Amino acid sequence: MNDVLVGRALAKRFGQTVALGGVDITVRAGEAVAIMGPSGSGKSTLLHCLAGIMKPDSGEVHLLGRRIDAMSERRRSALRRTRFGFVFQFGQLLPELPAEENVALPLMLDGVPRAQAVRRAREWFGPLGLGSMETRRPGELSGGQAQRVAIARALVSRPAVVFADEPTGALDQRTGHDTMRLLAEATKHNDASLIVVTHDPDVAAWCDRTVEVRDGLILPSGVRA
Amino acid sequence: MNLGLTWRLLKGGGKGMLGTWLTLGAVAVSTALLLFAVAANFAFEVRGERGAWRNPVPATSGAVAVEASRYDYVRDQAITVVDLGALGRAPAPPGMPRFPAPGEVWLSPALAALAARLPAGELADRYPDPAGVLGDEALIHPDELVAVVGHEPGDLALTAARSDDWVIAKPPTKVADLAGTPSEDSEAYRMLALIASVLMVVPLLVFGGAAARLTVARRDQRLAALRLVGATPGQVVAMTVAEAMIVALAGALVGAVAFALAVPLLAGIEMQGGPWFAADLFPGPLILAAVLVAVPLLVGLSAVIGLRRVVVSPLGVARRETPPAMRFVRVLALLAVLAAFPMLSRGSSVTIVAVALGLAFLCVNLAGPWVVGVIGRITAASARRPARLLAGRRLVDDPRSAWRTVSGVALTGFVAGFLGLLSPGAFESEAGPPQLRVTAPAGQVAKVTEQARRRLAKAGVPATVKASDRVVVAALGSAADAAAVDRARTALAGLVPGRTPTTKTDDQRFGVQILADVRVGTIVVLSVSFLVAIASAGITAASAILDRRQTYGLLRLAGTPLEVLDGARRAETLIPLAVMGGGAILVGVFCATPFMLGGISTVGAVTLLACVAAGFAGVIGAGALSRPLLRSVTADPAPRPD
Ligand SMILES: Nc1ncnc2c1ncn2[C@@H]1O[C@H](COP(=O)(O)OP(=O)(O)OP(=O)(O)O)[C@@H](O)[C@H]1O
Ligand SMILES: [Mg+2]
Repeated sequence: MNDVLVGRALAKRFGQTVALGGVDITVRAGEAVAIMGPSGSGKSTLLHCLAGIMKPDSGEVHLLGRRIDAMSERRRSALRRTRFGFVFQFGQLLPELPAEENVALPLMLDGVPRAQAVRRAREWFGPLGLGSMETRRPGELSGGQAQRVAIARALVSRPAVVFADEPTGALDQRTGHDTMRLLAEATKHNDASLIVVTHDPDVAAWCDRTVEVRDGLILPSGVRA
Repeated sequence: MNLGLTWRLLKGGGKGMLGTWLTLGAVAVSTALLLFAVAANFAFEVRGERGAWRNPVPATSGAVAVEASRYDYVRDQAITVVDLGALGRAPAPPGMPRFPAPGEVWLSPALAALAARLPAGELADRYPDPAGVLGDEALIHPDELVAVVGHEPGDLALTAARSDDWVIAKPPTKVADLAGTPSEDSEAYRMLALIASVLMVVPLLVFGGAAARLTVARRDQRLAALRLVGATPGQVVAMTVAEAMIVALAGALVGAVAFALAVPLLAGIEMQGGPWFAADLFPGPLILAAVLVAVPLLVGLSAVIGLRRVVVSPLGVARRETPPAMRFVRVLALLAVLAAFPMLSRGSSVTIVAVALGLAFLCVNLAGPWVVGVIGRITAASARRPARLLAGRRLVDDPRSAWRTVSGVALTGFVAGFLGLLSPGAFESEAGPPQLRVTAPAGQVAKVTEQARRRLAKAGVPATVKASDRVVVAALGSAADAAAVDRARTALAGLVPGRTPTTKTDDQRFGVQILADVRVGTIVVLSVSFLVAIASAGITAASAILDRRQTYGLLRLAGTPLEVLDGARRAETLIPLAVMGGGAILVGVFCATPFMLGGISTVGAVTLLACVAAGFAGVIGAGALSRPLLRSVTADPAPRPD
């Protein structure tokens, strides 16, 4: 078995709202999974539970056979830093750091010496089409370029799973597709799994499979919106 | 464009209100302290005017009275003795129902109470059978000791020569009325108060400006969005400024009420030997109105300046770009002003000194952000750990906001450096048993000596009386305590008309008093500066978190430990605080050197050190207070820009 991330019977409520109603999901090594569904159906909540950002009310999350949902916040935080990568819609780069330092930050947080961290960060710029953008600051990058820097940052510490919540939501369609392609290719290239929440069927098409969420539940597989 | 919609967009959600509350609080604190700084000036002026009647102005024609004054002493307090004689139909002096008849004595309430409390032979016998009690209009402060003595204009007390030291006595003067003029020492106090207010007002203005920009900073993104959908600059500016000013007005009113409530406390601060009449500390309605109008206007102006960036370029804020480097001119301005300081001296007019101080102060404030930027570059370049790197980059990115966090303490450091070394060391006290001295009129030295001997023997005070030159010296026995000295003073009262027998300590009383008052003033100024500094550190720390809560939140989601974010925040304050605080103290010391009397005073240096320690602790504490805010904004699993 090469299941990397397994969620079992995940349930989460916010007051009266049932955000997740008992979801089972398995993500295999190197696999790219798209999560789709209408607004408010519970996609982000599912992602947050799987990534150890949020504790589910019931159910379990296992990473490489280890249960992570019951860990303390401190350990989950360390796990997120070392085993997971994140790409959000926007606003995740520190505006005052040059791009290369934004990418190097996760490495430095893990104790990699600064020079080495920056050197390793730089290696990502060429392949992602960011050559010569190393010392620019996020405000001096286009939206697509900034997302590619975010992708580099998500991958730099060689995570097992990359989570992306509408990573192309703030981009135009064309740039969005380019960015998504880069994200899918780069994660695959690094043997990381990818879980991406998206509204765009074309984006989902870059993934190995698609999971449909409705009212906090996963629709039987094979059903496509 | 729908105004209502724009307004709601501007306001944003719940956390938007936090900025508003912070601004309101900051403006309230500033207004209260500003009122205090302004009121202090008027309070000294009122004191000076109320004491003016004891400082006679020679009549050019139509004299109605003769007036003279001198100091008497009891225990370690001074008594102002005013001698009055009517030449014609003399008006009633302030605080008295009528002009005192010859032989009559009127006492201030505090002196009457003291005379009743001490044995008659120590005080009451000097002013026998008081005819009445002086009203408050005659007094500088409620605890003041004043005696008014009526005479025939030809009495020796109103004709004999007095000490020619204006501090100790005013010679008999024919006056046309009893208005008088504020005395030299009251003018000196007013000047010191003016300098103190300059030192307090500048940090207050900086703080108020920071508070005003707080409302605006929180709006940057929304405003830029509004501009992008086509709101005219006028609309955006008008609405934000209107809001800032409404909040400022509310804050100013709260501040005014807070000041009014604090007046009874402030009135207890002793100056010139006593506390204040509470009424003296209330600024007049005109001044109050001026402050209540000026504060919202200044806040509005600050808001406009803060908005300029948004209005000029709708993209400017939405996209953070590398800011233009700070100009070195700022430092040149400071150096230029500092270069002028050695030209000043203790002889320079107080107004010039006040202006120079104000300029130096403003220039420290101008140079601050530049230096912070340099510090940031050095920190970032040398950083090995993430917290340091974040802190350094942030300092380079926005040196102005970092400076605002520490400017309060740095400027206080300037004040502490300036005042700390300025307070000259204490006067040396008299060694050996007390001696009372009085100068006898020429040719009567032997007679006065003999009389003094007899009077002291009669009062039962052991003393050896000798004359040296024209000064008659009564050396009391080594067993003489304060009560014995007062018995001797009482026994010798009126021995030489118009002159008071005094000890060395008495003669230094005035200097000691000024010194004590300067020290109290220093402590007041430093306390105010510190309140401002700590409040502004707290406010800027909170607003820095609010400004970047989305990024902080996302970083924390991605596993960045809270300690790193918090450590970066701390370093971001501490590094510039250490450099700028130290630098400002040195500049303050430098500015004080032309005015230093003698060497460095230990008390001053200790005060200075205590201030530095308190300032650091306060700023760190204020920053730590916003840690729960950091925790709460980063706890949100789905951070959004509002
Ligand atoms: N912090 C919260 N407090 C209360 N209710 C919440 C919270 N977070 C999510 N919800 C509710 O849970 C449900 C699922 O939300 P979730 O964010 O997972 O939806 P989503 O599928 O990501 O939607 P979208 O595509 O719009 O991002 C919604 O009904 C939402 O209102
Ligand atoms: Mg969502």
